[in-house]
Amino acid sequence: MLGIRLHRRFWLLVLPVCAAAFAQDPVAKGIEEFHQGKYEPAKATLEQALKQKPGDAHARTFLALARAATGGCAAATRDLADIFAQSKDGDLRRLSGLALVQCHLTQNRYDLALPVALELEGQFPADADVLYEAAKLHMKAWNDVVFQMYQRTPASYRVNQVSAEIFEVQGRFAEAAAEYRKAIGKNPTALNLHFRLGRALLMQSHTPEILDGARQEFEAELKLNPGDAVAEYEIGQILLAKNKPQEAAARFDRALALSPDFGEALLAVAKMRAETKRYDEAIPLLERAVRLQPQNEVAHYNLMLAYRNAGRAADALHEKAEIGKLQRPPDGEFTEFLKKLGEKAPAQ
Amino acid sequence: MKTTTPVLLTVVLVAVVAFATDTPESTEFDNIAAQAGLVHTFPNGGTNSKKYIIETTGSGAAFIDYNNDGRPDIFLLSGDGGSNRLYRNEGTGHFTDITRETGLASDGWNQGVCAGDFDNDGFTDVLVTSWGGLTLYRNISGKRFENVTKQARLEQNRVRYNTGCAFFDYDNDGRLDLFVANYVKFDFATTPKPGENPYCWYRNLPVNCGPRGLPFDRNILYHNNGDGTFSDVSDVSGVSKPDQSYCLSVLTGDFNQDGRTDVFVACDQTPSLLYINRGDGTFSEEAVLRGVAFDENGKAMSGMGVTSADFDGDGKPDIFRTNFSDERETLYRNRGAAEFDDVTLTAGLAHNTRYVGWGCGFFDFDNDGWKDLLLVNGHAFPEVDRLKIDIHYKDRAILYRNNGNGGFTDISQKAGPGVVERHASRGAAFGDYDNDGSIEVVVNNQNETPSLLKAAHKPVGNWIILKLEGVRSNRSAIGARVRLTAGGRTQIDEVRSGGSYLSQNDFRLHFGLGRATRIERVEIEWPSGQRQLERGIGVNRVITIREAEGPIK
Repeated sequence: MLGIRLHRRFWLLVLPVCAAAFAQDPVAKGIEEFHQGKYEPAKATLEQALKQKPGDAHARTFLALARAATGGCAAATRDLADIFAQSKDGDLRRLSGLALVQCHLTQNRYDLALPVALELEGQFPADADVLYEAAKLHMKAWNDVVFQMYQRTPASYRVNQVSAEIFEVQGRFAEAAAEYRKAIGKNPTALNLHFRLGRALLMQSHTPEILDGARQEFEAELKLNPGDAVAEYEIGQILLAKNKPQEAAARFDRALALSPDFGEALLAVAKMRAETKRYDEAIPLLERAVRLQPQNEVAHYNLMLAYRNAGRAADALHEKAEIGKLQRPPDGEFTEFLKKLGEKAPAQ
Repeated sequence: MKTTTPVLLTVVLVAVVAFATDTPESTEFDNIAAQAGLVHTFPNGGTNSKKYIIETTGSGAAFIDYNNDGRPDIFLLSGDGGSNRLYRNEGTGHFTDITRETGLASDGWNQGVCAGDFDNDGFTDVLVTSWGGLTLYRNISGKRFENVTKQARLEQNRVRYNTGCAFFDYDNDGRLDLFVANYVKFDFATTPKPGENPYCWYRNLPVNCGPRGLPFDRNILYHNNGDGTFSDVSDVSGVSKPDQSYCLSVLTGDFNQDGRTDVFVACDQTPSLLYINRGDGTFSEEAVLRGVAFDENGKAMSGMGVTSADFDGDGKPDIFRTNFSDERETLYRNRGAAEFDDVTLTAGLAHNTRYVGWGCGFFDFDNDGWKDLLLVNGHAFPEVDRLKIDIHYKDRAILYRNNGNGGFTDISQKAGPGVVERHASRGAAFGDYDNDGSIEVVVNNQNETPSLLKAAHKPVGNWIILKLEGVRSNRSAIGARVRLTAGGRTQIDEVRSGGSYLSQNDFRLHFGLGRATRIERVEIEWPSGQRQLERGIGVNRVITIREAEGPIK
């Protein structure tokens, strides 16, 4: 419970009331104690306050929060659920929701915590506390299931696969590749393992040997699944890296044929066309890529250049404007933080 | 659908190009700094860790013939705790430290250097940029320098992080104006410490903060009033308009070949800038549309150093920029009219992605008539060495041979000890200090003695070095463009101030001529607009050509 922040607006509303009424109003006193992290006194004060004002929503909410904060989830859960479901006050709903998610998590009740977290995300999409609790929920659920997998099926190829994926996340690509190889050894025909191994190899390094090794894995994946457009695309990239543009172009073409909406393949094919000054062919591909992925800066940038090179200045300027919009930093708490840094005048 | 490999998409595609192209001759470079007398260490922040960004950007290097004896001297800048130093070229292969007697002793965080005869008195003046301000040194008859910053009205009214600079005559009035890039707004008191915010981390290591997260600043253009003073025309000229880039190195050039000098600025973690000179005293910044702001995917790189040459021999000046590790360097081919394509991959320059590149230059080390490329490296963060990976604080240089077909071959590993020894290098300047037709490179290394790279063996190709002297144009001939035809091939180049990484190359233009024994034509387009044609010039010599007069020596 520690760490949940109240909205500034909430305190602007509540604190003056508290200050004025503090001497007489046990609700305000209890809230103030809660705010100061004095959860046990807050609990006692708010229990007392509720006896005097049984219907006070703030007292009920903060008592439930104080109970949750002191390990009393069992006593708090019902109140928190009621307040979250019924309160018309957004701040109270947010606080009770956050506490409710935490209480459900202490009991590993992901089934109960998830709907609350999703609703919170819907109501407070840019709230750092809400996003943090949601992330914690997903991570804890994932951890628990993986732990069960390790306990119940320790020799399965899936354990090697998930180990490899964890190593990848940690940037330990050599270890990831080793685990993928073990998984492939146990289940040579499982889809996606060769692909993941190839990808882990490329993450590791780009020496000629690694490129060759990665290509072998992507080719192996294609043997298992000839319709794998992404494996085709990766081979195209490797060929491009090896300065074999014509062979690469054939692979990109094939990737696109397999998956006509595959944005990266669209881009790759378009770039190959543009490289050979075939702008009339590149432009429709890039326009399609932009339609499919309007937020894709790479697509917009390449479309801008293709328009420019084809002499379509107005269209190029339009794409430039789109790139400008996409590259504008998102509005959000961290961006605000950076803006503040930018506004801070250095001492001179 | 499964996802593609992010590394392949965003970081690098390894160009495994012709590894073992036969070299026609030896291409070894030695580091002869110690025997040449470049024995001083140039401090520049921490060696094991750096608390502030000011410790990372290092300092420039310059070849400047301050006394007009025809032998380029060496000027090296220092970070805090040391002094800039001028070394006189004695003509014997030895340089003598003459800092004190020439009045160039300094302190503070010196960054960039550029040269130009701003008062047209025939002696090359020097500007030093620093965190803190600018210093304009007027050359007094090739004997000493006088700090004329205040008289020239170049004092700044606040602390600025000035970086790259270049003298150039943007309005073609015969007087050198001045462009100064600015990096960030920085001060020790308010800048967060390593690890204090998400922009103070590198590969899970707390490192100095920035430039991301630090306030932007704006570039500056000073107009030369012709009376020894300058006026800040940044706003009216449009130079100060871009305010979202962290700018480092400045490269001037007539990229759209309209007779007016444009300015490219390499910027760190943000779009690089291309100021197109409109010819009416104003510039429009057009890097995005012209294809030089980003890499081929529209992503901003961490631009550090910059250089230009017509690498593919199509008569148009191209641009090369050094970037950070996990990024490619960037080679932009000029399609004409200053519209560029990123040809890094197809030119074979995409595979060196573990280096942070700084100083760079196109130079024809083998005199075959094709400009080769050298870049010097060294990571921004000494802390990276703790990771024990293939990225190092001190790293080797990279030498690419121009294959003459639009591609380059990386020959670093067999380019001799001068290239492969590791340093935390920053500025690099190119010039033929002994006038033997082979270009040397002086490199400013952080907290070490500098490097002076010299070819171990004289290249077999013929050569010419042109020193241009303006009359109606500025005396330094900065902005003069040369088209030289020899042996049926035409090469172009331009006299420049600034460039590389915060550095100054020798003003004189060097052309390798291969087997050509006679130069058919030298066409010069002076900044004044005057066009001059010289014919029948011999090879393997240094000649001076004065505007409207022809060769004078």
